[in-house]
Amino acid sequence: MAVTTQKAPPATEARHRRPLRQRGLSFEGKMLAPALGVLAAVSIFPFIYIIAMSLSLVGLIGGISFDWVGLDNWTRLFSDGAVWASWLRSVVFFVLTVGLEMLFGIGIALAIYETRRGRNVVTSLVLMPMFMAPVIVGLLGRFLTDSTYGLYAWALDEIGIYNGDILGNTTSAFLAVTLMDVWEWTPLVALIVLAGLTSMPRQVLEAAEMDGASYWSRLRDIVLPMISGVIIVALLIRSMDAIRYFDIITNTTNGGPADATKIVPIRLYETAFRFFDLGYAAAIGLSMLAVTIIMANLFLRILKQRGLAR
Amino acid sequence: MTPSRGGVGSRIGLPVVLGVVLLWTVVPLAWMVLSSFKPADELTATTPTLSFTPTLDHYDALFSGGNNIGPYIRNSLVAAGVSTVIAVTLGCLAGYGLARSRFRGKDHVAFWIISQRMAPIAAVILPLFVIFRFTGLLGSTWGLIVAYLTFNLPFAIWIMNAFFAELNPSLEEAAMIDGASRWSAFRDVALPLVLPGIATTAILCLVFSWNDYAFAVTFSGPDSQTLPIAASQLVTQTSIDWGQLTAIGTIVVAPMILVGLIVRKWLVTGLTLGAVTGE
Repeated sequence: MAVTTQKAPPATEARHRRPLRQRGLSFEGKMLAPALGVLAAVSIFPFIYIIAMSLSLVGLIGGISFDWVGLDNWTRLFSDGAVWASWLRSVVFFVLTVGLEMLFGIGIALAIYETRRGRNVVTSLVLMPMFMAPVIVGLLGRFLTDSTYGLYAWALDEIGIYNGDILGNTTSAFLAVTLMDVWEWTPLVALIVLAGLTSMPRQVLEAAEMDGASYWSRLRDIVLPMISGVIIVALLIRSMDAIRYFDIITNTTNGGPADATKIVPIRLYETAFRFFDLGYAAAIGLSMLAVTIIMANLFLRILKQRGLAR
Repeated sequence: MTPSRGGVGSRIGLPVVLGVVLLWTVVPLAWMVLSSFKPADELTATTPTLSFTPTLDHYDALFSGGNNIGPYIRNSLVAAGVSTVIAVTLGCLAGYGLARSRFRGKDHVAFWIISQRMAPIAAVILPLFVIFRFTGLLGSTWGLIVAYLTFNLPFAIWIMNAFFAELNPSLEEAAMIDGASRWSAFRDVALPLVLPGIATTAILCLVFSWNDYAFAVTFSGPDSQTLPIAASQLVTQTSIDWGQLTAIGTIVVAPMILVGLIVRKWLVTGLTLGAVTGE
Protein backbone atom coordinates (compact mmCIF):
# COMPACT_ATOMS: atom_id res chain seq x y z
CA MET A 1 0.00 0.00 0.00
CA ALA A 2 2.99 2.25 0.52
CA VAL A 3 3.63 1.81 -3.19
CA THR A 4 0.23 3.09 -4.25
CA THR A 5 0.47 6.21 -2.13
CA GLN A 6 3.88 7.00 -3.53
CA LYS A 7 3.09 6.89 -7.21
CA ALA A 8 3.30 10.11 -9.19
CA PRO A 9 0.33 12.41 -8.65
CA PRO A 10 -2.12 12.35 -11.58
CA ALA A 11 -2.52 15.36 -13.77
CA THR A 12 -5.62 16.70 -12.04
CA GLU A 13 -3.96 16.70 -8.68
CA ALA A 14 -0.95 18.53 -10.06
CA ARG A 15 -3.24 21.07 -11.72
CA HIS A 16 -4.99 21.67 -8.44
CA ARG A 17 -1.83 21.91 -6.50
CA ARG A 18 0.36 24.12 -8.57
CA PRO A 19 -1.57 27.38 -8.09
CA LEU A 20 -1.79 26.69 -4.36
CA ARG A 21 1.91 26.17 -4.07
CA GLN A 22 2.56 29.45 -5.81
CA ARG A 23 0.61 31.20 -3.12
CA GLY A 24 2.79 29.57 -0.47
CA LEU A 25 1.66 26.50 1.41
CA SER A 26 0.43 23.41 -0.46
CA PHE A 27 -2.92 21.84 0.42
CA GLU A 28 -1.15 19.25 2.57
CA GLY A 29 0.81 22.00 4.25
CA LYS A 30 -2.38 23.85 5.13
CA MET A 31 -3.87 20.68 6.56
CA LEU A 32 -0.78 20.10 8.68
CA ALA A 33 -0.25 23.66 9.83
CA PRO A 34 -2.84 24.05 12.62
CA ALA A 35 -1.96 20.77 14.34
CA LEU A 36 1.79 21.24 14.03
CA GLY A 37 1.42 24.78 15.31
CA VAL A 38 -0.41 23.63 18.44
CA LEU A 39 1.97 20.70 18.88
CA ALA A 40 4.98 23.00 18.61
CA ALA A 41 3.46 25.32 21.21
CA VAL A 42 2.85 22.52 23.70
CA SER A 43 6.14 20.71 23.06
CA ILE A 44 8.99 22.79 21.62
CA PHE A 45 8.60 25.66 24.05
CA PRO A 46 8.47 23.36 27.09
CA PHE A 47 11.44 21.42 25.70
CA ILE A 48 13.59 24.57 25.48
CA TYR A 49 12.31 25.45 28.91
CA ILE A 50 13.31 22.16 30.52
CA ILE A 51 16.82 22.49 29.06
CA ALA A 52 17.09 26.00 30.52
CA MET A 53 15.79 24.70 33.85
CA SER A 54 18.40 21.94 33.92
CA LEU A 55 21.10 24.61 33.70
CA SER A 56 19.66 26.76 36.46
CA LEU A 57 18.70 26.95 40.06
CA VAL A 58 14.95 27.55 39.76
CA GLY A 59 13.24 29.53 42.49
CA LEU A 60 9.48 29.57 42.89
CA ILE A 61 9.14 32.22 45.58
CA GLY A 62 7.48 35.41 44.33
CA GLY A 63 7.16 34.36 40.72
CA ILE A 64 9.88 32.36 39.06
CA SER A 65 13.59 32.99 39.09
CA PHE A 66 16.33 31.32 37.10
CA ASP A 67 19.88 31.48 38.44
CA TRP A 68 22.37 30.19 35.91
CA VAL A 69 24.45 27.41 37.44
CA GLY A 70 25.95 25.91 34.27
CA LEU A 71 26.35 22.16 34.38
CA ASP A 72 26.03 21.85 38.17
CA ASN A 73 22.77 19.87 37.97
CA TRP A 74 24.29 17.55 35.40
CA THR A 75 27.51 16.83 37.32
CA ARG A 76 25.37 16.23 40.38
CA LEU A 77 23.16 13.84 38.39
CA PHE A 78 26.08 11.67 37.36
CA SER A 79 27.54 11.48 40.87
CA ASP A 80 24.23 11.04 42.74
CA GLY A 81 24.14 7.51 44.13
CA ALA A 82 20.43 7.80 44.98
CA VAL A 83 19.52 8.57 41.36
CA TRP A 84 21.67 5.70 40.13
CA ALA A 85 19.90 3.44 42.61
CA SER A 86 16.59 4.61 41.15
CA TRP A 87 17.80 3.85 37.64
CA LEU A 88 18.83 0.37 38.75
CA ARG A 89 15.42 -0.12 40.37
CA SER A 90 13.77 1.17 37.19
CA VAL A 91 15.72 -1.37 35.14
CA VAL A 92 14.71 -4.24 37.44
CA PHE A 93 11.08 -3.03 37.48
CA PHE A 94 11.21 -2.65 33.71
CA VAL A 95 12.71 -6.08 33.01
CA LEU A 96 10.29 -7.80 35.42
CA THR A 97 7.10 -6.06 34.27
CA VAL A 98 7.79 -6.05 30.55
CA GLY A 99 9.28 -9.56 30.69
CA LEU A 100 6.29 -11.05 32.51
CA GLU A 101 3.83 -9.12 30.35
CA MET A 102 5.45 -10.47 27.18
CA LEU A 103 5.55 -14.02 28.53
CA PHE A 104 1.97 -14.06 29.84
CA GLY A 105 0.68 -11.99 26.93
CA ILE A 106 2.04 -14.39 24.31
CA GLY A 107 0.75 -17.36 26.32
CA ILE A 108 -2.73 -15.87 26.68
CA ALA A 109 -2.86 -14.96 22.98
CA LEU A 110 -1.92 -18.53 22.02
CA ALA A 111 -4.59 -19.91 24.36
CA ILE A 112 -7.27 -17.57 22.97
CA TYR A 113 -6.18 -18.41 19.42
CA GLU A 114 -6.86 -22.10 20.14
CA THR A 115 -10.26 -21.33 21.62
CA ARG A 116 -13.26 -21.80 19.38
CA ARG A 117 -16.32 -21.47 21.59
CA GLY A 118 -16.83 -18.20 23.45
CA ARG A 119 -13.72 -16.64 21.99
CA ASN A 120 -15.24 -13.16 21.79
CA VAL A 121 -16.43 -13.22 25.39
CA VAL A 122 -13.09 -14.52 26.65
CA THR A 123 -11.17 -11.88 24.70
CA SER A 124 -13.39 -9.07 25.98
CA LEU A 125 -13.04 -10.24 29.59
CA VAL A 126 -9.27 -10.58 29.27
CA LEU A 127 -8.90 -7.08 27.78
CA MET A 128 -10.79 -5.25 30.55
CA PRO A 129 -7.89 -4.28 32.84
CA MET A 130 -6.11 -2.22 30.21
CA PHE A 131 -8.93 0.32 30.01
CA MET A 132 -8.67 1.02 33.72
CA ALA A 133 -7.19 4.21 35.11
CA PRO A 134 -3.81 3.18 36.60
CA VAL A 135 -4.67 5.14 39.74
CA ILE A 136 -7.67 2.84 40.29
CA VAL A 137 -5.48 -0.22 39.62
CA GLY A 138 -3.13 1.03 42.32
CA LEU A 139 -5.92 1.75 44.82
CA LEU A 140 -7.61 -1.57 44.07
CA GLY A 141 -4.25 -3.31 44.55
CA ARG A 142 -3.99 -1.60 47.90
CA PHE A 143 -7.46 -2.84 48.82
CA LEU A 144 -6.67 -6.43 47.81
CA THR A 145 -3.36 -6.48 49.69
CA ASP A 146 -4.56 -4.66 52.81
CA SER A 147 -3.33 -6.75 55.74
CA THR A 148 -6.67 -6.53 57.60
CA TYR A 149 -9.38 -6.52 54.92
CA GLY A 150 -7.60 -7.52 51.71
CA LEU A 151 -8.87 -10.51 49.72
CA TYR A 152 -5.45 -11.46 48.37
CA ALA A 153 -3.70 -10.83 51.69
CA TRP A 154 -6.28 -13.12 53.33
CA ALA A 155 -5.87 -15.80 50.63
CA LEU A 156 -2.05 -15.76 50.88
CA ASP A 157 -2.34 -16.04 54.64
CA GLU A 158 -4.85 -18.94 54.43
CA ILE A 159 -2.62 -20.88 52.02
CA GLY A 160 0.29 -20.10 54.28
CA ILE A 161 2.48 -18.33 51.75
CA TYR A 162 2.68 -14.89 53.33
CA ASN A 163 1.15 -13.26 56.36
CA GLY A 164 2.94 -9.93 56.68
CA ASP A 165 2.06 -6.45 55.46
CA ILE A 166 2.51 -6.87 51.71
CA LEU A 167 3.03 -3.19 50.84
CA GLY A 168 4.95 -2.60 54.05
CA ASN A 169 7.94 -4.81 53.31
CA THR A 170 10.51 -4.02 50.67
CA THR A 171 10.57 -7.21 48.59
CA SER A 172 6.85 -7.96 48.77
CA ALA A 173 5.98 -4.32 48.02
CA PHE A 174 8.21 -4.33 44.94
CA LEU A 175 6.68 -7.60 43.76
CA ALA A 176 3.16 -6.34 44.45
CA VAL A 177 3.51 -3.15 42.38
CA THR A 178 5.20 -5.19 39.64
CA LEU A 179 2.27 -7.61 39.54
CA MET A 180 -0.25 -4.75 39.50
CA ASP A 181 1.46 -3.37 36.40
CA VAL A 182 1.58 -6.85 34.88
CA TRP A 183 -2.12 -7.31 35.65
CA GLU A 184 -3.07 -4.09 33.88
CA TRP A 185 -0.85 -4.36 30.78
CA THR A 186 -0.57 -8.09 29.94
CA PRO A 187 -3.91 -7.80 28.06
CA LEU A 188 -2.38 -5.22 25.71
CA VAL A 189 0.44 -7.62 24.75
CA ALA A 190 -2.11 -10.43 24.35
CA LEU A 191 -4.25 -8.24 22.07
CA ILE A 192 -1.29 -7.31 19.84
CA VAL A 193 0.05 -10.88 19.61
CA LEU A 194 -3.45 -12.21 18.92
CA ALA A 195 -3.69 -9.79 15.97
CA GLY A 196 -0.42 -11.23 14.67
CA LEU A 197 -1.65 -14.81 15.12
CA THR A 198 -4.96 -14.28 13.33
CA SER A 199 -3.21 -12.70 10.35
CA MET A 200 -1.07 -15.82 9.79
CA PRO A 201 -1.95 -17.77 6.65
CA ARG A 202 -3.84 -20.86 7.83
CA GLN A 203 -2.57 -23.13 5.04
CA VAL A 204 1.00 -23.10 6.34
CA LEU A 205 -0.15 -24.25 9.76
CA GLU A 206 -2.45 -26.90 8.34
CA ALA A 207 0.34 -28.22 6.13
CA ALA A 208 2.65 -28.51 9.13
CA GLU A 209 -0.09 -30.28 11.04
CA MET A 210 -0.60 -32.76 8.18
CA ASP A 211 3.12 -33.48 8.27
CA GLY A 212 2.61 -34.57 11.84
CA ALA A 213 4.60 -31.81 13.51
CA SER A 214 3.80 -31.58 17.22
CA TYR A 215 2.21 -28.46 18.71
CA TRP A 216 5.45 -27.36 20.31
CA SER A 217 7.57 -27.81 17.22
CA ARG A 218 4.97 -25.97 15.12
CA LEU A 219 5.02 -23.20 17.70
CA ARG A 220 8.81 -22.97 17.76
CA ASP A 221 9.55 -23.40 14.06
CA ILE A 222 6.58 -21.76 12.37
CA VAL A 223 4.33 -19.67 14.62
CA LEU A 224 6.87 -17.74 16.68
CA PRO A 225 9.10 -16.80 13.71
CA MET A 226 5.99 -15.64 11.82
CA ILE A 227 4.80 -13.34 14.58
CA SER A 228 8.25 -12.14 15.68
CA GLY A 229 7.66 -8.71 14.13
CA VAL A 230 4.41 -8.25 16.02
CA ILE A 231 6.09 -9.41 19.23
CA ILE A 232 8.79 -6.76 18.81
CA VAL A 233 6.13 -4.09 18.27
CA ALA A 234 4.40 -5.18 21.50
CA LEU A 235 7.73 -5.15 23.33
CA LEU A 236 8.57 -1.62 22.20
CA ILE A 237 5.09 -0.22 22.91
CA ARG A 238 5.18 -1.65 26.43
CA SER A 239 8.77 -0.52 26.97
CA MET A 240 7.95 3.08 26.18
CA ASP A 241 4.85 3.06 28.36
CA ALA A 242 6.72 1.40 31.23
CA ILE A 243 8.91 4.51 31.47
CA ARG A 244 6.00 6.86 30.81
CA TYR A 245 3.56 6.00 33.58
CA PHE A 246 4.04 5.97 37.33
CA ASP A 247 0.48 6.31 38.68
CA ILE A 248 0.28 2.81 40.13
CA ILE A 249 3.33 3.27 42.37
CA THR A 250 2.31 6.83 43.33
CA ASN A 251 -0.97 5.50 44.67
CA THR A 252 0.32 2.41 46.43
CA THR A 253 3.77 2.76 47.97
CA ASN A 254 4.80 6.16 46.54
CA GLY A 255 8.39 4.96 46.35
CA GLY A 256 8.52 3.29 49.76
CA PRO A 257 9.06 1.33 51.90
CA ALA A 258 12.67 2.44 52.37
CA ASP A 259 12.86 3.55 48.70
CA ALA A 260 12.22 -0.03 47.53
CA THR A 261 9.87 1.09 44.74
CA LYS A 262 11.39 4.51 44.02
CA ILE A 263 11.86 4.22 40.27
CA VAL A 264 13.16 7.23 38.30
CA PRO A 265 9.84 9.00 37.55
CA ILE A 266 8.86 8.79 41.23
CA ARG A 267 12.21 10.29 42.24
CA LEU A 268 11.84 13.02 39.61
CA TYR A 269 8.35 13.91 40.85
CA GLU A 270 9.51 13.98 44.45
CA THR A 271 12.58 16.09 43.62
CA ALA A 272 10.42 18.60 41.77
CA PHE A 273 7.23 18.81 43.79
CA ARG A 274 8.24 17.82 47.30
CA PHE A 275 11.72 19.33 47.52
CA PHE A 276 11.06 21.95 44.79
CA ASP A 277 14.52 21.32 43.37
CA LEU A 278 13.20 22.02 39.86
CA GLY A 279 16.54 22.51 38.12
CA TYR A 280 17.85 19.16 39.27
CA ALA A 281 14.54 17.48 38.45
CA ALA A 282 14.83 18.91 34.92
CA ALA A 283 18.22 17.20 34.50
CA ILE A 284 16.69 13.88 35.62
CA GLY A 285 13.77 14.48 33.24
CA LEU A 286 16.05 15.10 30.27
CA SER A 287 17.99 11.92 30.98
CA MET A 288 14.68 10.01 30.91
CA LEU A 289 13.77 11.73 27.67
CA ALA A 290 17.05 10.57 26.12
CA VAL A 291 16.23 6.94 26.93
CA THR A 292 12.75 7.34 25.40
CA ILE A 293 14.11 8.89 22.22
CA ILE A 294 16.43 5.92 21.69
CA MET A 295 13.44 3.58 21.99
CA ALA A 296 11.23 5.72 19.75
CA ASN A 297 14.01 5.55 17.15
CA LEU A 298 14.06 1.75 17.34
CA PHE A 299 10.29 1.68 17.03
CA LEU A 300 10.29 3.86 13.93
CA ARG A 301 13.06 1.82 12.33
CA ILE A 302 10.98 -1.34 12.78
CA LEU A 303 7.91 0.38 11.34
CA LYS A 304 9.97 1.25 8.28
CA GLN A 305 11.34 -2.26 7.89
CA ARG A 306 7.79 -3.56 7.92
CA GLY A 307 6.88 -0.97 5.32
CA LEU A 308 4.42 0.66 7.67
CA ALA A 309 5.94 4.06 8.23
CA ARG A 310 4.63 6.35 5.59
CA MET B 1 -4.00 -26.37 15.53
CA THR B 2 -7.47 -27.09 16.81
CA PRO B 3 -7.55 -28.32 20.38
CA SER B 4 -9.66 -31.36 19.48
CA ARG B 5 -6.87 -32.71 17.31
CA GLY B 6 -4.20 -32.12 19.94
CA GLY B 7 -3.18 -34.64 22.56
CA VAL B 8 -5.02 -35.36 25.77
CA GLY B 9 -2.79 -32.80 27.47
CA SER B 10 -3.94 -29.88 25.36
CA ARG B 11 -7.59 -31.00 25.49
CA ILE B 12 -7.57 -30.69 29.26
CA GLY B 13 -4.85 -28.04 29.33
CA LEU B 14 -6.58 -25.33 27.34
CA PRO B 15 -9.68 -24.90 29.55
CA VAL B 16 -7.46 -24.96 32.64
CA VAL B 17 -5.18 -22.26 31.22
CA LEU B 18 -8.15 -20.13 30.18
CA GLY B 19 -9.74 -20.64 33.58
CA VAL B 20 -6.63 -19.44 35.40
CA VAL B 21 -6.28 -16.47 33.04
CA LEU B 22 -9.90 -15.45 33.57
CA LEU B 23 -9.64 -15.81 37.35
CA TRP B 24 -6.47 -13.70 37.40
CA THR B 25 -8.08 -10.99 35.25
CA VAL B 26 -11.63 -10.90 36.50
CA VAL B 27 -11.37 -11.52 40.26
CA PRO B 28 -9.92 -8.09 41.19
CA LEU B 29 -12.50 -6.27 39.05
CA ALA B 30 -15.40 -8.38 40.26
CA TRP B 31 -14.24 -7.93 43.85
CA MET B 32 -14.15 -4.17 43.40
CA VAL B 33 -17.68 -4.05 42.00
CA LEU B 34 -19.00 -6.48 44.66
CA SER B 35 -17.35 -4.54 47.47
CA SER B 36 -18.92 -1.30 46.29
CA PHE B 37 -22.34 -2.83 47.09
CA LYS B 38 -21.34 -4.34 50.43
CA PRO B 39 -22.58 -2.94 53.74
CA ALA B 40 -19.78 -1.26 55.70
CA ASP B 41 -19.60 -3.90 58.44
CA GLU B 42 -19.28 -6.77 55.94
CA LEU B 43 -16.55 -4.85 54.14
CA THR B 44 -14.36 -4.69 57.20
CA ALA B 45 -14.93 -8.31 58.21
CA THR B 46 -11.60 -10.07 58.57
CA THR B 47 -12.84 -13.05 56.56
CA PRO B 48 -13.97 -12.04 53.07
CA THR B 49 -17.55 -13.00 52.37
CA LEU B 50 -19.67 -13.41 49.26
CA SER B 51 -23.07 -13.45 50.92
CA PHE B 52 -24.38 -10.03 51.84
CA THR B 53 -27.40 -7.80 51.32
CA PRO B 54 -26.44 -5.35 48.58
CA THR B 55 -26.65 -1.68 49.44
CA LEU B 56 -26.24 1.59 47.58
CA ASP B 57 -24.91 3.35 50.70
CA HIS B 58 -21.44 3.98 49.27
CA TYR B 59 -22.79 5.42 46.03
CA ASP B 60 -25.21 7.60 47.99
CA ALA B 61 -22.34 8.88 50.11
CA LEU B 62 -20.39 9.82 46.97
CA PHE B 63 -23.20 12.01 45.68
CA SER B 64 -24.24 13.75 48.87
CA GLY B 65 -22.85 16.07 51.47
CA GLY B 66 -19.51 17.85 51.39
CA ASN B 67 -17.63 15.37 49.26
CA ASN B 68 -20.11 15.20 46.40
CA ILE B 69 -18.25 13.91 43.36
CA GLY B 70 -20.61 15.61 40.87
CA PRO B 71 -18.22 18.51 40.14
CA TYR B 72 -15.31 16.06 39.73
CA ILE B 73 -17.26 14.11 37.12
CA ARG B 74 -18.06 17.33 35.28
CA ASN B 75 -14.40 18.43 35.34
CA SER B 76 -13.32 15.04 34.04
CA LEU B 77 -15.86 15.15 31.23
CA VAL B 78 -14.95 18.70 30.20
CA ALA B 79 -11.16 18.24 30.34
CA ALA B 80 -11.15 14.84 28.61
CA GLY B 81 -13.95 15.74 26.18
CA VAL B 82 -12.63 19.10 24.98
CA SER B 83 -9.08 17.84 24.61
CA THR B 84 -10.38 14.84 22.65
CA VAL B 85 -12.46 17.00 20.28
CA ILE B 86 -9.52 19.35 19.60
CA ALA B 87 -7.05 16.48 19.17
CA VAL B 88 -9.30 14.48 16.82
CA THR B 89 -10.25 17.51 14.69
CA LEU B 90 -6.68 18.70 14.23
CA GLY B 91 -5.49 15.09 14.01
CA CYS B 92 -7.82 14.33 11.08
CA LEU B 93 -6.60 17.34 9.12
CA ALA B 94 -2.93 16.78 9.86
CA GLY B 95 -3.11 13.00 9.54
CA TYR B 96 -4.55 13.41 6.05
CA GLY B 97 -1.99 16.06 5.16
CA LEU B 98 0.83 13.83 6.34
CA ALA B 99 -0.48 10.72 4.58
CA ARG B 100 -0.88 12.49 1.24
CA SER B 101 2.25 14.63 1.21
CA ARG B 102 5.73 13.88 0.04
CA PHE B 103 8.27 16.42 1.12
CA ARG B 104 11.86 16.25 2.13
CA GLY B 105 12.26 15.82 5.85
CA LYS B 106 8.83 14.15 6.19
CA ASP B 107 10.46 11.36 8.20
CA HIS B 108 11.86 13.87 10.64
CA VAL B 109 8.48 15.53 11.11
CA ALA B 110 6.88 12.11 11.63
CA PHE B 111 9.53 11.16 14.17
CA TRP B 112 9.11 14.42 16.00
CA ILE B 113 5.33 13.87 16.21
CA ILE B 114 5.56 10.33 17.50
CA SER B 115 8.33 11.09 19.99
CA GLN B 116 5.99 13.61 21.63
CA ARG B 117 3.54 10.82 22.36
CA MET B 118 6.23 8.69 23.96
CA ALA B 119 7.81 11.33 26.19
CA PRO B 120 7.78 10.34 29.88
CA ILE B 121 4.95 12.12 31.67
CA ALA B 122 7.11 13.17 34.61
CA ALA B 123 9.49 14.95 32.22
CA VAL B 124 6.60 16.70 30.42
CA ILE B 125 4.95 17.86 33.65
CA LEU B 126 8.00 19.70 34.87
CA PRO B 127 8.37 22.54 32.32
CA LEU B 128 4.57 22.76 31.89
CA PHE B 129 4.20 23.33 35.61
CA VAL B 130 6.51 26.35 35.53
CA ILE B 131 4.97 27.67 32.30
CA PHE B 132 1.42 27.22 33.63
CA ARG B 133 2.39 29.00 36.81
CA PHE B 134 3.19 32.25 35.11
CA THR B 135 0.53 32.02 32.41
CA GLY B 136 -2.19 31.45 34.98
CA LEU B 137 -3.21 28.10 33.53
CA LEU B 138 -2.30 26.34 36.76
CA GLY B 139 -5.45 25.24 38.56
CA SER B 140 -7.75 25.78 35.57
CA THR B 141 -9.52 23.25 33.39
CA TRP B 142 -7.89 24.87 30.33
CA GLY B 143 -4.50 23.97 31.79
CA LEU B 144 -5.58 20.31 31.92
CA ILE B 145 -6.92 20.47 28.36
CA VAL B 146 -3.59 21.83 27.13
CA ALA B 147 -1.72 19.21 29.15
CA TYR B 148 -3.82 16.41 27.63
CA LEU B 149 -3.13 17.78 24.16
CA THR B 150 0.58 17.07 24.72
CA PHE B 151 -0.18 13.35 24.36
CA ASN B 152 -3.56 13.26 22.58
CA LEU B 153 -2.62 15.49 19.66
CA PRO B 154 0.52 13.60 18.51
CA PHE B 155 -1.41 10.36 19.04
CA ALA B 156 -4.38 11.54 16.94
CA ILE B 157 -2.18 12.86 14.10
CA TRP B 158 -0.20 9.63 13.98
CA ILE B 159 -3.17 7.25 14.07
CA MET B 160 -5.24 9.21 11.58
CA ASN B 161 -2.19 9.27 9.32
CA ALA B 162 -2.09 5.47 9.55
CA PHE B 163 -5.80 5.16 8.72
CA PHE B 164 -5.64 7.62 5.79
CA ALA B 165 -2.51 5.98 4.39
CA GLU B 166 -4.49 2.72 4.16
CA LEU B 167 -6.93 4.42 1.77
CA ASN B 168 -6.14 4.25 -1.90
CA PRO B 169 -5.91 7.86 -3.15
CA SER B 170 -7.51 6.89 -6.47
CA LEU B 171 -10.99 7.47 -4.99
CA GLU B 172 -10.13 11.05 -4.13
CA GLU B 173 -8.48 11.47 -7.52
CA ALA B 174 -11.63 10.26 -9.25
CA ALA B 175 -13.69 12.79 -7.31
CA MET B 176 -11.29 15.54 -8.31
CA ILE B 177 -11.53 14.55 -11.98
CA ASP B 178 -15.28 15.06 -11.55
CA GLY B 179 -14.53 18.58 -10.40
CA ALA B 180 -14.29 18.27 -6.63
CA SER B 181 -11.82 20.49 -4.84
CA ARG B 182 -9.07 18.97 -2.72
CA TRP B 183 -10.94 19.99 0.39
CA SER B 184 -14.19 18.35 -0.69
CA ALA B 185 -12.26 15.24 -1.83
CA PHE B 186 -10.98 15.06 1.73
CA ARG B 187 -14.26 15.89 3.46
CA ASP B 188 -16.75 14.01 1.26
CA VAL B 189 -14.65 11.05 0.06
CA ALA B 190 -11.76 10.27 2.40
CA LEU B 191 -13.22 11.30 5.75
CA PRO B 192 -16.38 9.11 5.62
CA LEU B 193 -14.21 6.09 4.78
CA VAL B 194 -12.13 6.41 7.93
CA LEU B 195 -15.05 6.82 10.35
CA PRO B 196 -14.03 3.69 12.31
CA GLY B 197 -10.57 5.20 12.59
CA ILE B 198 -12.00 8.47 13.87
CA ALA B 199 -14.14 6.63 16.43
CA THR B 200 -11.16 4.58 17.61
CA THR B 201 -8.93 7.64 17.87
CA ALA B 202 -11.59 9.60 19.75
CA ILE B 203 -12.28 6.78 22.19
CA LEU B 204 -8.60 6.16 22.90
CA CYS B 205 -7.96 9.90 23.41
CA LEU B 206 -10.92 9.96 25.78
CA VAL B 207 -9.63 6.92 27.71
CA PHE B 208 -6.08 8.31 28.00
CA SER B 209 -7.20 11.68 29.34
CA TRP B 210 -10.08 10.38 31.51
CA ASN B 211 -7.62 7.96 33.13
CA ASP B 212 -4.91 10.55 33.72
CA TYR B 213 -3.74 11.06 37.26
CA ALA B 214 -0.23 12.57 37.11
CA PHE B 215 -1.16 15.72 35.16
CA ALA B 216 -4.36 16.26 37.12
CA VAL B 217 -2.72 15.93 40.52
CA THR B 218 -0.04 18.47 39.56
CA PHE B 219 -2.04 20.99 37.54
CA SER B 220 -5.60 20.99 38.82
CA GLY B 221 -6.90 23.33 41.48
CA PRO B 222 -9.96 23.14 43.72
CA ASP B 223 -12.21 24.03 40.76
CA SER B 224 -10.75 21.67 38.19
CA GLN B 225 -10.00 18.43 40.02
CA THR B 226 -10.96 15.31 38.13
CA LEU B 227 -12.45 11.97 39.13
CA PRO B 228 -9.11 10.12 39.60
CA ILE B 229 -8.10 12.86 42.05
CA ALA B 230 -11.35 12.39 43.98
CA ALA B 231 -10.52 8.67 44.18
CA SER B 232 -7.00 9.20 45.49
CA GLN B 233 -8.26 11.78 48.00
CA LEU B 234 -10.35 9.10 49.68
CA VAL B 235 -7.05 7.72 50.98
CA THR B 236 -6.04 9.71 54.05
CA GLN B 237 -3.30 9.29 56.61
CA THR B 238 -5.66 7.85 59.19
CA SER B 239 -8.17 5.76 57.30
CA ILE B 240 -9.46 4.60 53.95
CA ASP B 241 -13.18 4.27 53.25
CA TRP B 242 -12.98 1.16 51.09
CA GLY B 243 -16.70 1.20 50.37
CA GLN B 244 -16.59 4.63 48.77
CA LEU B 245 -13.27 3.87 47.15
CA THR B 246 -14.53 0.74 45.38
CA ALA B 247 -17.69 2.64 44.39
CA ILE B 248 -15.74 5.51 42.83
CA GLY B 249 -13.40 2.97 41.22
CA THR B 250 -16.38 1.32 39.58
CA ILE B 251 -17.64 4.72 38.36
CA VAL B 252 -14.23 5.61 36.86
CA VAL B 253 -13.61 2.24 35.24
CA ALA B 254 -16.98 1.04 33.92
CA PRO B 255 -17.58 3.65 31.15
CA MET B 256 -14.02 3.28 29.80
CA ILE B 257 -14.23 -0.52 29.61
CA LEU B 258 -17.56 -0.14 27.83
CA VAL B 259 -16.41 2.34 25.18
CA GLY B 260 -13.06 0.58 24.83
CA LEU B 261 -14.69 -2.73 23.98
CA ILE B 262 -16.98 -1.02 21.43
CA VAL B 263 -13.98 -0.27 19.19
CA ARG B 264 -12.25 -3.58 19.93
CA LYS B 265 -11.93 -4.43 16.25
CA TRP B 266 -9.74 -1.37 15.54
CA LEU B 267 -8.07 -1.26 18.94
CA VAL B 268 -4.87 -2.95 17.80
CA THR B 269 -4.27 -0.36 15.08
CA GLY B 270 -4.80 2.40 17.61
CA LEU B 271 -2.76 1.02 20.46
CA THR B 272 0.21 -0.05 18.32
CA LEU B 273 0.23 3.38 16.67
CA GLY B 274 -0.63 1.75 13.37
CA ALA B 275 2.19 -0.81 13.42
CA VAL B 276 -0.18 -3.80 13.59
CA THR B 277 -3.58 -3.97 11.91
CA GLY B 278 -6.68 -6.13 12.30
CA GLU B 279 -7.73 -8.44 15.09
